[in-house]
Amino acid sequence: MYNEVRVFVENKPGKLSQVSDILGSAGVDIINLELADDGQFGVFKILTAEPDKAKQALSAAGMTTAFSKVAIIEIADQPGGLVRLADALRDANIGLTDAYGCILERGKRAIFVVKGENLEAIESTARAAGLKVLDSLE
Amino acid sequence: MKTVVDKVGSRFEWMSRDEITEFQGAALRTSVARAARSPHYSAKFDELGIDPNDIRLTKDITRLPFTTKEDLRLSYPDKMLTVDREQVVRLHTSSGTTGKPTAIMHTQQDIDCWAELMARCLAMTGATSQDVFQNMSGYGMFTGGLGLHYGAERLGMLVIPAGPGQTARQIMLIRDFGVTCIHSTPSYFMHVAEKMIQDGDDPKPLGIERAFCGAEPYTEELRAKLQDLYGCRVYNSYGLSEMMGPGVAFECTYQDGMHVWEDAYLVEIIDPETLEPVKEGAVGELVMTTLRREAMPIIRYRTRDLTSILGGECRCGRKHARMARFVGRSDDMLIVGGVNVFPSQIEEVIMRNDWLGGNYVIQLAKQGALDKMTVKVEIAQAVFDGSLDNIRTKRDELANQVKDQVGFTVNVEVVEPGSLPASEGKAKRVMDER
Repeated sequence: MYNEVRVFVENKPGKLSQVSDILGSAGVDIINLELADDGQFGVFKILTAEPDKAKQALSAAGMTTAFSKVAIIEIADQPGGLVRLADALRDANIGLTDAYGCILERGKRAIFVVKGENLEAIESTARAAGLKVLDSLE
Repeated sequence: MKTVVDKVGSRFEWMSRDEITEFQGAALRTSVARAARSPHYSAKFDELGIDPNDIRLTKDITRLPFTTKEDLRLSYPDKMLTVDREQVVRLHTSSGTTGKPTAIMHTQQDIDCWAELMARCLAMTGATSQDVFQNMSGYGMFTGGLGLHYGAERLGMLVIPAGPGQTARQIMLIRDFGVTCIHSTPSYFMHVAEKMIQDGDDPKPLGIERAFCGAEPYTEELRAKLQDLYGCRVYNSYGLSEMMGPGVAFECTYQDGMHVWEDAYLVEIIDPETLEPVKEGAVGELVMTTLRREAMPIIRYRTRDLTSILGGECRCGRKHARMARFVGRSDDMLIVGGVNVFPSQIEEVIMRNDWLGGNYVIQLAKQGALDKMTVKVEIAQAVFDGSLDNIRTKRDELANQVKDQVGFTVNVEVVEPGSLPASEGKAKRVMDER
């Protein structure tokens, strides 16, 4: 399991600048950033190799943050690379509530980040399908 | 055979100043003696060593204590009642400063008197039993509903108890039944006109002749605009549930100040700081004493509404004093779409929600002609667990709690902690952009 860093924000211009400025100044490298919008407010979901450092920097700057546990599964960056994981989750009848991916090495390695009701089940299903589950992004 | 004149209490309507003063002296004495029968006033009079028998003339009013909204709150539900519960036939409540409302009870005589005063107001504008009247005010506890209803019925008009909203239906009823008079808040009446114009329609052919507008303050400019849009006359109406409801004061055909019925109310204008009477014609806080109320007479009620008594005589010939347009309040009460709201009511709801920080803002704006209220609250940092579902649910629940408290739908916005203006000293909670 891994800690995704979440930041609660009002839906208004300047929030992305604020977050990226804080993280940049703290020397934190962003691996992935997603935005979930809910009308008047939203949440940034940030994936970084240093979640503790990122959360601390954001909180110290007055932002409202929380960790969210996710499962990170390594997949091959090639057409069909997602199929093995997707089929395994389907066969195990596991539902997801959030999912996104990003490339670590073009043409070689990618990660798929998922959230669901049962993270342990997701991880064990992935492993059983011969996939690597990551606990670190160093 | 009862004539329209009797129905609307005309013998009081045309009293001379001397007759009014004489009538008021006797009526005040009766009212104070009656009030002394209630737990609240008997304790108050005892505490202050007041003997109701000493009250003989209207100027003796200054010997009597004021009554405030707080007194009404503490008297809830019935400590100001002077009759047996069984004689009470109606209850109306109105917004209180805390979660509890204030309660006003009426006997049949009170209801009849209210209808008489209300009919008098309507007849004063020239309305008759030949008119068709649509009441666009909220019914239920809002006195604007049943208050206008009973008065209009007494005058013999065909009364359509449409209630508020459902604009398309309002317009349909006005057309289909040949409505000639309406009662509404000025903002909703404007909203109806704007909606019609937006739809490529014209308010003038509706044939409305008289619009009775009140429950919220409005300017001469807005009145003129409404008159122009509808081709009707707009009459200003003033009332408050503590004094009964609408029918307390109304404009005559000269539309030059609102006549307050001095056979039913003793009026004073005081300085809200010193509590002394202001100079003649000056603006001050309106204080009212009921002269004809049976179940719950109220002595020297601080309305917190700011106005002045117009000098001179009205061209209509009536001698009842005229009040100018209200210029504001001497407290923090807000009027949103004709509904009274105390910021403290909202604060109470917010403080009950421990997922919030203590800072909040009440923002008032116009959406077209209508008032819109937005309550901005700060999420407590520790409460955020990464999920938005949770916040959304709590926000919706808060909106429902506020709606339960104030009686209408409000917008709730959840903002980041520390993003609302922090104040030094007394917090400025209300941003009124209207």
